[in-house]
Amino acid sequence: MSLQKEELDYLTKKIGREPNDTERHIVAAEWSEHCSYKSSKIHLKMLPTKGARVIHEKGYDSGVLDVGGGYVVTVHIESHNHPSAVEPYGGAATGVGGVIRDILSAGTRPIALLDGLRFGDIQKDSHAKWLFKNAVTGIADYGNCLGIPTVGGEVEFDKCYSNYALVDVASVGFGKKERLIKNHAKAGDVVVLMGGSTGRDGIGGAQFASDSLETEDRSAVQIPDPFIEKLIIEATLEARNQGLIKAIKDLGGGGLSCAISETADAMGVGIELDVTKVHTREPNMKPSEIMTSESQERMLVITDKKKLAKLQQICKKFRVSCSVIGKVTGNKIMKVTDNKNVLASMPAEIVANAPLLNRPSKQPAYLKQLENKRQPSQPKDLSKTILSLLASPNIASKIWVYGQYDHEVGIRTVVKPGSDAAVLRLDNGKYLSVKIDGNPKHCYLDPKNGAMGCFEEACRNVVCTGATPIGMVDHLQFGNPENPEIFWTFLESLKGITEFCKHFEIPCVGGKVSLYNETPHGPIKPTPLIGVLGLIDKTPLKPQKIELGDVLVMVGITKDELGGSEYYEYIHDFIGGRAPKINLAESKKNMDSVLKIIQNGHVKAAHDCAKGGLAIAVSELSMTSNVGCAISLDKVPKEKLDSAKLLFSESHSRYLLVVEKSKLHVVLSELKKKNVSHSEIGTFQGNEIIFSNKKKLVAKLRVDKAHEKWFNSLRDLVLHA
Amino acid sequence: MSLFEVQVMIENKAGMNDPEGDTILNDLVLKGHHGAVKKIRSAKMLKFQINSTTKQAAESAVKKICDDLRIYNPMVSKVTFSAKSI
Repeated sequence: MSLQKEELDYLTKKIGREPNDTERHIVAAEWSEHCSYKSSKIHLKMLPTKGARVIHEKGYDSGVLDVGGGYVVTVHIESHNHPSAVEPYGGAATGVGGVIRDILSAGTRPIALLDGLRFGDIQKDSHAKWLFKNAVTGIADYGNCLGIPTVGGEVEFDKCYSNYALVDVASVGFGKKERLIKNHAKAGDVVVLMGGSTGRDGIGGAQFASDSLETEDRSAVQIPDPFIEKLIIEATLEARNQGLIKAIKDLGGGGLSCAISETADAMGVGIELDVTKVHTREPNMKPSEIMTSESQERMLVITDKKKLAKLQQICKKFRVSCSVIGKVTGNKIMKVTDNKNVLASMPAEIVANAPLLNRPSKQPAYLKQLENKRQPSQPKDLSKTILSLLASPNIASKIWVYGQYDHEVGIRTVVKPGSDAAVLRLDNGKYLSVKIDGNPKHCYLDPKNGAMGCFEEACRNVVCTGATPIGMVDHLQFGNPENPEIFWTFLESLKGITEFCKHFEIPCVGGKVSLYNETPHGPIKPTPLIGVLGLIDKTPLKPQKIELGDVLVMVGITKDELGGSEYYEYIHDFIGGRAPKINLAESKKNMDSVLKIIQNGHVKAAHDCAKGGLAIAVSELSMTSNVGCAISLDKVPKEKLDSAKLLFSESHSRYLLVVEKSKLHVVLSELKKKNVSHSEIGTFQGNEIIFSNKKKLVAKLRVDKAHEKWFNSLRDLVLHA
Repeated sequence: MSLFEVQVMIENKAGMNDPEGDTILNDLVLKGHHGAVKKIRSAKMLKFQINSTTKQAAESAVKKICDDLRIYNPMVSKVTFSAKSI
């Protein structure tokens, strides 16, 4: 835990003297990659953050969007990868806690959680299975205790995460616009630390997250306590209602060092803090330990001197510990004392703003080789291939996971997990649709289009519920940025996301960068994760049961884009080929047309074509409604492709619409009018899923057998294998 | 060979948070005015009955089982093994 030599020189120059030991610790925590974004900050500016609905306030940790009627939604995404890789239960649980407090610090109530989980190959790797099982339990226990529904997410397994875990948590908040906390402070205000006691757990966590996991220094494990978190939520919201909070910040990575310096810097004030006033869990903690501890379930609150007594009363009522640890000053200095002596005194602006880096980048050599690799040939029995894909861990139903989450508590959940996106009822009569998506397999082969693809997929998912995308958050997870090839993949992904944001006019309202995600076998694949929020003004499209005779219409062109597909990677164990690309004009045209058709109530169900391609998307529709279908592959809008490629290509901008016969002409004429590539590709009938190409049978599966495989295989793998 | 009972006690490492112990202390013991109590730490205990030659052999056999089956996480927990013959 130390500063680089150049950083130390920079600090010395800036403050005009050698920093002492406590100061070094404080600055090292704040200048870690995790807190300072020193590698990424100059590039993140390219993301468009403004929009008609976006509300900006200084010092917000979450994005705020106006949803009308005097209400706002807030959203934030974070990861807890390093802690979860060593202690999956506690790491995943405290990850949930952290992101909830970011939502809370805007003055909104957290109403939903989503989780993106990634582990090694659970079919072969028992350690990956152990991580998976415990991370899911950790999330379930924490979220369920708090009464916040976990409404969605995704789970993926890939060898690149062996001995590691990506645990991403997104949270959505909701509240009245007038109750948003407008962070401000003036000299004489008091600084209060609310919540759990400060202990030695998690010391140097931010630093730890910024190092590779090779080191055996694994002290950064934290024990979750959802009951304190729940009390903090209620105490904070009550204090908000009574107007007792002038400014608030969650204590996360970097602990007090980070919270104090960033708050002071954002408000343009100074803060003087007495470490002896912090309620600690253990005796004899060093000031530098108190300043950098990352103990969970703590909030920093700034309040008026006159309102302090009321705040203390509320904390007492909820039995949340709270200590007055310092005061706001007018000199913009962050000062730390131990009652008598000054331990640290530095301008907050310097502490909060690490020297930024412009790291070199270089296109990785592997890309060209992988694109030109000889592609695998078509298997003989495609029915078998579809069946084994349906049972593969990445495609099989995730019921074992979301079945452990309370996804209905709070009675807002209108569309539950297991569909394209979750839909939540809001108090202003509208509905909010949410989804997170990532695709490291595509991003590994083509970081830019891969990232755009994740973005489009998340949009497609919310569109399939009838929602218009209104905002996005991104979580950019990569390996060691000091490696120019890895840094190049980061920049490319960022450029892709930016282009997509601009073309679709979807503002980026928040996000996070997590670097140094390295396993013992090397860096993880580039894993940008995109969360999209969509708004539904009238009625959401709830999946309806498909009946015999309903027609399946496909929108979008199927292309020769199998690189990074589940079919190549799971069936053929082949990494290579061309990953799907986004054509922005086509993407927007398809999305707008599909959305209009859904909003006009012309379809029974809509589903996007993603992992596993057309074959899996069609099977999912059939299986969930327990009805067969007959699909003619020759009718699919396409480039020239063989049957296997048609079935499994993961090209973007494709949607499946289930339409009643009586409404077919309306849907088709609408699509034709907009000049969208589309076709009627089959009907629902019988009890078998049948794919044919020019009248020749390609694959045939019984719906009940397919369903049994798809529905049970992940659970069986976790519990019985 | 004779039968031993090996008690395996699993607790959070010293200095780590123990919400369960804290709750028992604050919401039960201190509410009952037992002000003399200063701290409570919770733990989980497993009792293995195992055939073995000596106490030490019984303890190390159980330790190996607990390690292999990941019954505790060494990152978080402190574990103590103590055997007695029964």
